Amino acid sequence: MKTRSMKAAATLAGAMVSMALVATGCSKGADTPADKPAVTEVTFWSWLRASQEVTDAFNKTHTDVQVKFEQIPGGAEGYGKLTNAVKAGNAPDVATVEYAMLPDMLAQGNLADISGDITDLVKSKYPAPIQELVTLGGKTWTVPLDAGAMVMFYRKDLFEQHKIAVPKTWDEFKAAAEAVKKADPKARITDWNQTDSANFVSLNWQAGAKWFGIQGDSWKVTLDSPESQKVAGYWQDLITKDLVTNVPAEEVQKRKAANQVWTQLGGAWAAGGLKAGLPDQAGKWASAPLPSWDAAPASAMVGGSSFGVSKTSKKKEAALKFITWMTTTPEGIQARLASGASSTLPAIPELADVAAKNFDTKFFGGQDIYAVAKTALPTIKTGWVWGPGMRGVFDGIGEQFKLVQTGKQQLPAVYGPVQTKTIADLKGRGINAS
Amino acid sequence: MPPTRSGLARRQYGVAALFTAPFFLLFFTFTLAPIGYGGWLSLHREQTSGLGLGGEPEQVFVGLDNFTRALTDGQFLGSFVTVGVYCLVYIPVMIGIALVLALLLDSAYARAKRAFQLALYLPNIVPGLIAAMIWTYLYTPGLSPIIDALEQVGIPFNLGSDAGAVGAVANLTTWMHTGYNVIIFFAALQAVPREVIEASTVDGAGQIRIAWSVKAPMIRGAVVLAVLFTVIGAMQLFTEPFIVRDAATTIDQAWTPSLYIYQLTKAYDMGGAAAASLILTVVLAVASFLVTRFSKKGATL
Repeated sequence: MKTRSMKAAATLAGAMVSMALVATGCSKGADTPADKPAVTEVTFWSWLRASQEVTDAFNKTHTDVQVKFEQIPGGAEGYGKLTNAVKAGNAPDVATVEYAMLPDMLAQGNLADISGDITDLVKSKYPAPIQELVTLGGKTWTVPLDAGAMVMFYRKDLFEQHKIAVPKTWDEFKAAAEAVKKADPKARITDWNQTDSANFVSLNWQAGAKWFGIQGDSWKVTLDSPESQKVAGYWQDLITKDLVTNVPAEEVQKRKAANQVWTQLGGAWAAGGLKAGLPDQAGKWASAPLPSWDAAPASAMVGGSSFGVSKTSKKKEAALKFITWMTTTPEGIQARLASGASSTLPAIPELADVAAKNFDTKFFGGQDIYAVAKTALPTIKTGWVWGPGMRGVFDGIGEQFKLVQTGKQQLPAVYGPVQTKTIADLKGRGINAS
Repeated sequence: MPPTRSGLARRQYGVAALFTAPFFLLFFTFTLAPIGYGGWLSLHREQTSGLGLGGEPEQVFVGLDNFTRALTDGQFLGSFVTVGVYCLVYIPVMIGIALVLALLLDSAYARAKRAFQLALYLPNIVPGLIAAMIWTYLYTPGLSPIIDALEQVGIPFNLGSDAGAVGAVANLTTWMHTGYNVIIFFAALQAVPREVIEASTVDGAGQIRIAWSVKAPMIRGAVVLAVLFTVIGAMQLFTEPFIVRDAATTIDQAWTPSLYIYQLTKAYDMGGAAAASLILTVVLAVASFLVTRFSKKGATL
């Protein structure tokens, strides 16, 4: 009995040792640079459309750097994942960071300082408002990809069919909302989307609100301002009068498919999603500037991404090579647009033309939606600063929206609680704020 | 030479240690050490300074501050009220249904017992996440055939109310866990001596009387165990409300203690999350103690 079990154990141990040997043998074979020049492999995390295509195109044309792309979720989950990975020391070399989240990521110490050559590059290629978004505390942190200028997508066919003018101001938008409801009692001009608070934040930006500011060594948090109140009051009125849909996100998609949602506000990049989500409505959509508060056109940025190098990366140079390729070269932009899934508006003006040429506009009836987005760019209200704690702000506003949906809360009251909580959170993290 | 008494004992200790070592090793590595680390975290807080640009956060000792913050946070305390209400609704209903179904399965008239056992157990195999997504669909007005049908006959179901949200989650968990408990109760019923049942039959008791007065009391131990596990599981409620909240607007970020803790980790507040977790652990320990204590009297197993 004893000898038999001993024998069995010995066999098992032998098997394990040989398996281990096989395993090490394999990995050795793959790593040894016998006949190839040294290749630096960098990892890249993103949730942006066509990231895989961009990576493939880069790998095909480069021999010294090879990129391994890993899809991660967007939003709060993705940033949490990055933060934890940096702490654990297994973060990717290249990270995707939206402009709104950059201060948050810096407060977590997630990104490496890439000033130096990159500062010059950013200064020479990008418009000043975009430069400001990635330069904080006198250092450059990320390289910008796109400018998410906010525009209004609308159902051209339905507006024409019912002879409703495309609204240019918010007053006209309200009038159009009434006309839409009259034309089709089941339809509304847009959905009041409670789950995505990013659009709402940008509508405040467009109205001239400034939620974060720096005063000396401290952040000034002002969510609740007269400008914000104007925006909240306007939309609350539309909700109360039942001129916009106020339903869960799942239902909104169904209503869109049933031709019951006639406009969608969003960043230039949202065109790609619209196209993918509603293939049956090809040729029926068009793009127009965002309605403004007075006659002067005004827009805001919604979303917009940049790429940085994680603090723990040991391959900064190779990572930057990939980052600059995908953000500042026509090849990089072409690769992103070629798949047809992305409608990104590159932040570098010349590259926006490259993008326009590569984007299939059939969904928009051949309209040059890039021209609309490009005219919106210079109208983006200046002076807006993203502050740390935006993840909490987006979440907090989203929670408040749920109360608005059930009628327990009115929109003008959503700012107060979020502002109080944001300041408390920042202070709790040792950041000066008031 | 025959082995001395103490020598034997020593050798037995050696063997015992060898057999128990793996348990203690795993217990220490995966239970005690993480709890210890949680304890350390709960006494610290991540801090940066100034504008917080580019600075690496440091862990600063804050004493019991994280605990006082949690215990004075209305959201955290409110989350215990929510699970309390949820337990009051869910546990009696779920255990009651499971018990009745198990007794029916065990009755002399039951046919196709195996098929019914399998059918009842099926929902338990569905992963909680998937189940929650299915039910979220069934709860969404405009998408759900059930909600639409209910509205047609004039019974509007409002997920937007607090009661509606508790009901929705309790309904979902009942659907998931009843079958599991039926199996447990049914197994316990199988162990009830047949002669006791025969004796009751001879004494003139009907099926219902036997079920209620003979069988049910005899599996009291199994029921207590099921209640205990259910209480512990219910207080850690997370997945179901996390998914259903897409449709149920009153389920906020701190609806249950676990959701509250999750929300803190999302705000990078690991210290606060650790403190809240430890408080939840203590509450769970007390709750388990109370359940076993109150049900000890007359327990048969």
